Amino acid sequence: MIEAKALTKRYGPFTAVRDVTFAVGRGTILGFIGPNGAGKTTTMRMLTGFLPATSGDAVVAGFDVFEAPMEVKRRVGYLPERPPLYPELTVGDYLSFVAELREVPARGRQRRIGEVMEQVGLLGWERRVLGSLSKGYRQRVGLAQALVHDPPVLILDEPTSGLDPAQNVGIRELIRTVGKDRTVVLSTHILAEVEATCDEVVLIHEGVIAAAGPLETIRASAVGGPAWRAEIQGEGAAREVGRLPGVARVEPSDLPDGWTCLLVVADDDPRPAIADLAARSGWRIRSLERVVPGLEDAFLAIVGREDRRGGAR
Amino acid sequence: MKACWTIFRKEMRVYFVSPLAYVFLAAFLFLAGLFFYLGITLTGEASLRVMLGNLSITLLFVLPMLTMRHFAEEQRAGTLELLLTAPAPPWALIVGKWAASLALCVVMLAGTFLFPVMLAWYGDPDWGVVGTSYLALVLCAAAFCAAGLFASSLTQDQMAAGIAGILVLLPFWLVGQAASLTENPTLTSILEKASFLAHLRGFTKGVVDTADLSWFLLFVFLFLFLTYRTLESRRWR
Repeated sequence: MIEAKALTKRYGPFTAVRDVTFAVGRGTILGFIGPNGAGKTTTMRMLTGFLPATSGDAVVAGFDVFEAPMEVKRRVGYLPERPPLYPELTVGDYLSFVAELREVPARGRQRRIGEVMEQVGLLGWERRVLGSLSKGYRQRVGLAQALVHDPPVLILDEPTSGLDPAQNVGIRELIRTVGKDRTVVLSTHILAEVEATCDEVVLIHEGVIAAAGPLETIRASAVGGPAWRAEIQGEGAAREVGRLPGVARVEPSDLPDGWTCLLVVADDDPRPAIADLAARSGWRIRSLERVVPGLEDAFLAIVGREDRRGGAR
Repeated sequence: MKACWTIFRKEMRVYFVSPLAYVFLAAFLFLAGLFFYLGITLTGEASLRVMLGNLSITLLFVLPMLTMRHFAEEQRAGTLELLLTAPAPPWALIVGKWAASLALCVVMLAGTFLFPVMLAWYGDPDWGVVGTSYLALVLCAAAFCAAGLFASSLTQDQMAAGIAGILVLLPFWLVGQAASLTENPTLTSILEKASFLAHLRGFTKGVVDTADLSWFLLFVFLFLFLTYRTLESRRWR
C-alpha cells in the first residue's frame, strides 16, 4: 500500500531525509519513531504529496506520489502535526467543507460525516466553534477530517501529542480499529504509543532509517538478541555459563548485596542448562528470567550506536 | 472547478461568521456616504464623480486588508497543508479565494448603489456613466484583490501581507500622477500605460475601451499567476 524507495529531501546543503526505503501493507500500522527533528514529518509530507522529494520514489495506494499526485491525494487521509482547523468555523461546517474538498459525494455526505463524528467521539459537537475546542477535541476533529473520505491509507503525524492519558487511550483504540482494514503510518516520539498501537516500526534518526521491522525484532536488537538474566552466587559462574553451548555472550555485573547478575545472550533458552550447571557446581540461584527489553532500550541503544558511529566518522 | 466553488463558499462563510465582513462593510459604506455628501455639497453638481473617484483609491487601501489573511493565515495555522494535500489543484484554491474577496467587494459596492438611486430621486443622472463607473470599480477591485492575494502568499504575517499588498498597488496608482510631471513624451506615455488612472479615465466618461478592459484582465491574470508561482516555490524550499 505504501512503498518508499530511496526518498531523499535536501534543503540546500542540509539533508533532512536520506535514502528512506520501506514498505507497509494493508492492515498494518507502521510506527515512525525517532527523536525530534529526525525527519519524520518531512518523510510523511513527501508521502502525502505536500512536499516534493529531491530524489527517490514513493508509491501510495497504487499510484506514484510524484507522477499522479491527485490520485494519491484522493486515497490518503492526512493529519498534520498541528490539526489544520479554521477557528471561525463550527465542527459541522468544517467537516462538510473538508468532505466536499475531498470529493465525498453530496449524496450521503452528511451521513458519512455523522459516522466519522461518532467514530472519533464528537457526536453532539456539530455546532461548537473550532476555536473554542480544547486540544483533545481539536485532535479528534483533525482525525475526523483525515477519515471523512474513507481513505485506504492514513498518515498521522503525532496523533496523540498534547492529549491527556485518558484521551490517549481513546485515540489509540480508535487508530487500532480504523487500522484493521487500512494502511496506517503514524509518527511519534512517545514509545509507549508505538508499543500500544503499532505492528511494525521504522526508527529514523538524523534523516536515515536506523532500524526497521516488526516490533519484536526492534526490541530484541537493544541487547543484540534474545537475552536472559540470572542472579547467581558462585565462583567463576560467568566464565562457566559463557562456555555453555548456544550462549553467545555473558555480561556479568556485581550487585551491591554480594550477588552477581549475569546477562546471558543466547539463541535458545539457556535456563535449564544454567540450573543444571548451578546444581553441579554448588552455586546458589535466586532468579532466572527472560529479559523483555523495552522499546525504550532499543531506541536508546540504536540512537546511541548511530551517534557513536557518527562520531567515529 | 468544483474545488474552486468549495473554496469560494468556505471563504465567504469565514468572512461572514467573523466580524470581519461587517466591519469592512460598515466602514466602506460610511466612507462612501461621506464622499457622496462632500461631492455634492462642495461641487454643487448632482454627480457621482467625486464619490466614485474616491472609492477607487479607498479600495486600493481596503482590499489588501481584506485579502491579507488568505494565504498568510493558511500558512501560519497550517491549514495550507490540508488544502494542498486535498485532491484540489492549487489554481482552484487561488481562484476560489480571489473570487470570494471580489464577491465581498461587490457586496460592498452594491451597498453604495443607494447613492445613484438617491440622485435619481432629485435629478437625472446619466445611467450609462454610472454603469461604466461601477464596472470600473469592479475591475479595480478584481485587480486589487489579485495583487492582495499575491502579497498574502509571500508571508505568514497578515499585517506584513496587507502592507505589502498596498505597496505593490500604490506605484501603479502614483505613476499616473508622475506621468503629468515629466516633460519627456516617451516617458509620459510609458508611465500612462502602467497606471490605473489612465485606464480608468475612459470608464468615468462612459466609454468602455477593450484596451482598458484587457489591461485590467491582464493585471488580474498576472498577479494570480504570480501567486501560483509563490505557492509552488514554497514547496521547493
